[in-house]
Amino acid sequence: MNQNAAPIIHIQNLAKSYFRETLEIPVLQGLDLDIPSGGFYALMGPSGSGKTTLLNLIAGIDRPTGGLLEVCGSNLNQLDDDELASWRNQNVGFIFQNYNLIPVLNAFENIELPLLLTSLTRAQRKEKVEEALTLTNLMDRRENYPRQLSGGQEQRVAIARAIVSNPKLLVADEPTGALDAKNADEILEMMQRLNEEFGKTILIVTHDPKAANFARHQVHLEKGVLDKTVEVNR
Amino acid sequence: MRSKRRTFLILCTLVLSVFLITILQSLLATLDSVSNKPTEGNRFVVRHKSGLTQFLPISYGDYLRQQPEVLAVANSQWFGGYYQDPKNFFANFANDETTMFEVFADRITGLTEPEIKEYQRDGKGCIVGQILADKYGWKVGDTIPLTGTIFPMSPRLTIRGIFKGRTASEENTLYFHYKLLEEGVGFMKGKTGAFWLKTKTSDDIPRVANRIDTHFSNSPVETMSEAENAFYLTFVKMLGNIGAIIHGVTIAVLIAITIVTVGTMSMAIKERTTEIAVLRAMGFSSSRVLFLLMAEGLLLVTLGGAMGIGLASLVAKILREILGSALIFLQDFHLANETILLCMGMALVIGFISTIIPALAATRKSIVEGLRAL
Repeated sequence: MNQNAAPIIHIQNLAKSYFRETLEIPVLQGLDLDIPSGGFYALMGPSGSGKTTLLNLIAGIDRPTGGLLEVCGSNLNQLDDDELASWRNQNVGFIFQNYNLIPVLNAFENIELPLLLTSLTRAQRKEKVEEALTLTNLMDRRENYPRQLSGGQEQRVAIARAIVSNPKLLVADEPTGALDAKNADEILEMMQRLNEEFGKTILIVTHDPKAANFARHQVHLEKGVLDKTVEVNR
Repeated sequence: MRSKRRTFLILCTLVLSVFLITILQSLLATLDSVSNKPTEGNRFVVRHKSGLTQFLPISYGDYLRQQPEVLAVANSQWFGGYYQDPKNFFANFANDETTMFEVFADRITGLTEPEIKEYQRDGKGCIVGQILADKYGWKVGDTIPLTGTIFPMSPRLTIRGIFKGRTASEENTLYFHYKLLEEGVGFMKGKTGAFWLKTKTSDDIPRVANRIDTHFSNSPVETMSEAENAFYLTFVKMLGNIGAIIHGVTIAVLIAITIVTVGTMSMAIKERTTEIAVLRAMGFSSSRVLFLLMAEGLLLVTLGGAMGIGLASLVAKILREILGSALIFLQDFHLANETILLCMGMALVIGFISTIIPALAATRKSIVEGLRAL
């Protein structure tokens, strides 16, 4: 990874508050952070430190109350809801703790979902889904429904769905939180491979120091403020 | 919808509701069409003021014929007989065999002059409608037994002609000579159930009808003159205010089904809050998700509506065949296109209302909030 590459995520003086009636509850305050393209960052911190909120803001599923937020070359504050939806489709792949697969769709159909928003033909979509299935070692499970898969396989389907549209950025909120140690390692190794071999920028939120060690950098948050950024020695 | 059982139950509810509304509205439409049908023959009926089970003296016919606006008078009596088996029940009347062709010129067509003459000549002759003849395989010259249910008489009638009518109910009818009834049933001598009158113009009817009823008022046998369709509906009116009842039931069913569908769709959409949030996170816009949810809701009601209408169509056919011979207005009972459109439209409106509310709520919810809703 070239540390001097232009940042894919550029954050300046970022603030986010929630409002309970008239009461303002600040979650993030004055946060500055640059993440270069091709980086693998783990966001860490105690509960309530604002790491998931930061991930949501970077992924464009929440809006900041102040500051500058540039991701994948777009100032997210300037995009309206529809533009932001389209931006997410083109730039961000999501991996959730509970996989969040659609139960009535099989693995192939779940992975195909983001491609339905593109102008790709059926044959092109099939090709891309099969690439993603191969990459995640799921070709033999393509017809299986989520209920027929193990937790680890479900998360691999979720990863395949996240990468199928070839986004620049992958965001994962506690991606191994629901997995046993063996499956967790497999998933993290897969993410590491996506970062190293395919140059994906990856941002994960985790409580688990072992999981965070798969990343190249760890960003520690404390009460909504950036505490420190640590490079991981592997 | 994720729950197959819930989908099945809501579909059944929709099918039954649309079926009920379609059948009731079709019944109302059929009754309306009967009452609103123009009396092309400029006809009206004079009957006993006390009701249809009372008789008028045949001698009243002399006064009726003297009215300058009246072109023809035919006395007529519902016979209520059946052919071979009580289930073979259809409309059959004893009618004046001469004037009936003038009074009912629009209703009885397709007979040749020789056939009419042969019928008028044969006192035990009868004429039958085409549908009736087809149903029982009758042809001209056949002798058919008719067993009376009201009158103690079972004539054997020879078919002298098969006529065409404007409607199924008209072609599902048999006429025989009035004199045969008079001869066969002692207490009917000199009496008739009703007189059918044909006037020069339909404008004449109110004036003549009023004159006739006034003339016979305060007599031992008072008359009631009414338009042809009002006469048919007298049977139905005996059941009460059918229109109000049908509209009342329809509104009650509509309210009930709307409440049930709103509840079901709300639950179905709410249980997918996280899925909706995931779709939106992946880049599906709120409007696209709203469209998908609406399409699902409308597909469900369209399916339920179509099945309900299909079932109603089947039941209407069965009702027509089983009860049509006993209840004359049911012989034309069918689902009119307007009724089908109305019922389908109502189903779609219910689907729209019941889906749009929870769908809007789901798509307006923030993605972050939706992802937390586990």
